[in-house]
Amino acid sequence: MTKKDDAPGPARAGQEHGAQLSAALGACAAGRSEGIDVILTLEGRQLLGVAMRILGRYDLAEEALQDAMIRVWSKAAQYRAQSGSARGWIYAVLRNRCLNILRDGRRLSVLSPGDLAHVQEARQQIVPPEGWEILSGPGKLSDCLGRLDPQSRHSILLAHVAGFSHGEIAARQNMPLGTIKSLIRRGLVALKECLS
Amino acid sequence: MTKLSDEMIALSDEYVLGLMSQGEAELFEEIMARDEEVARRVGALRDRLLPLDLSASPCDLPEDFTARVHSAIAAQGQQEADPAAMAANMTRPPARSFRRVIAAALVGLAVGFGFGGGWLRPMPEPVVVAVLLDAQGVPQAVVEDFGNDTATVRFVTDIDVPADRSLQVWTLPSEDMGPVSLGVLEGTRAARLAFGDLPDPGAEQLYEVTLEPQGGSPTGRPTGPIIGKGLAAPQL
Repeated sequence: MTKKDDAPGPARAGQEHGAQLSAALGACAAGRSEGIDVILTLEGRQLLGVAMRILGRYDLAEEALQDAMIRVWSKAAQYRAQSGSARGWIYAVLRNRCLNILRDGRRLSVLSPGDLAHVQEARQQIVPPEGWEILSGPGKLSDCLGRLDPQSRHSILLAHVAGFSHGEIAARQNMPLGTIKSLIRRGLVALKECLS
Repeated sequence: MTKLSDEMIALSDEYVLGLMSQGEAELFEEIMARDEEVARRVGALRDRLLPLDLSASPCDLPEDFTARVHSAIAAQGQQEADPAAMAANMTRPPARSFRRVIAAALVGLAVGFGFGGGWLRPMPEPVVVAVLLDAQGVPQAVVEDFGNDTATVRFVTDIDVPADRSLQVWTLPSEDMGPVSLGVLEGTRAARLAFGDLPDPGAEQLYEVTLEPQGGSPTGRPTGPIIGKGLAAPQL
């Protein structure tokens, strides 16, 4: 796992943290629920922060995190260390759960029109066209995002950070769907090349 | 299996970014579970983008949150049978062909949505998509219904159609209406179907393809063996 060496952040603390999370998934896979405690102690506040940023409402964010932890519990045995970090895997489970809530019309239809408007409006503010660097922090990801053309970068951030779909990004940017898809696709190719 | 196609790499990226619908993402997870290289690429990009998630402002958990998760897990454990045993009982398609056919289904969906060159010709978005599976659970075809009395069908595996037979596509708008033909196909080329006025397609509406006498079913109802069938998933 030499690739871990160029991971951002203080390497040793990061490795220890990663090992704890990996062991926690192992515990869940073995049916020991203290694995859940470890994950929530180490990452709970940050995970809830991610859910809150995407969903814009505390009750929905809490629900997403609870669902995600149940999923982590039941899917932990499927986690494979060779396919990325335990931390990345846990955040992906949460993000997927948030996106499913956002895209489930029936789920959001219980909100009043005012609340729904608030959720949508809050999402519009997540990715500012200027000052996006705050989203990626200092480091290689930020440098590489900085080298992308602004439209590709903005579209990629709208998708990953705010959970917008292709169609929503196209409507927001007032561009044809196909243009957005190719902007994102080209942007990701360039981004991965820069990061590797 | 180490070199992935451009399409598969693009699908991996879209999966990580969260750009797939729930149905597409679940199909893609089936590929990841069977293909280490795909899973490795997904994991690598995911880890590279993790700083974005770590930039969110942390939020305090409610005091009883951990306890609530534990009781939800305990409640779930009582309800559900052992997932490993359930999985063992399910018919699993052969691993080697699975990636190919699922990928073809996903790429087909993506082309329908306009990716991979399709964007040169803007296409309407389907209202529902159904992946039609055979009795062994192997995907055979993908039907996209546009809700304006047109649909497309695309086969994702080789189907042997005898010279004196035709494939016919059906849907079941309601039990009252019974199965309605969407069109008769000659061969397994992707086809656009236009049909008579039908109610708008809905979630879990049944679609199927049957093998019929040449020119289509003589009775107006499916008579031949089912090549594949599946339930519609609404698209957003």
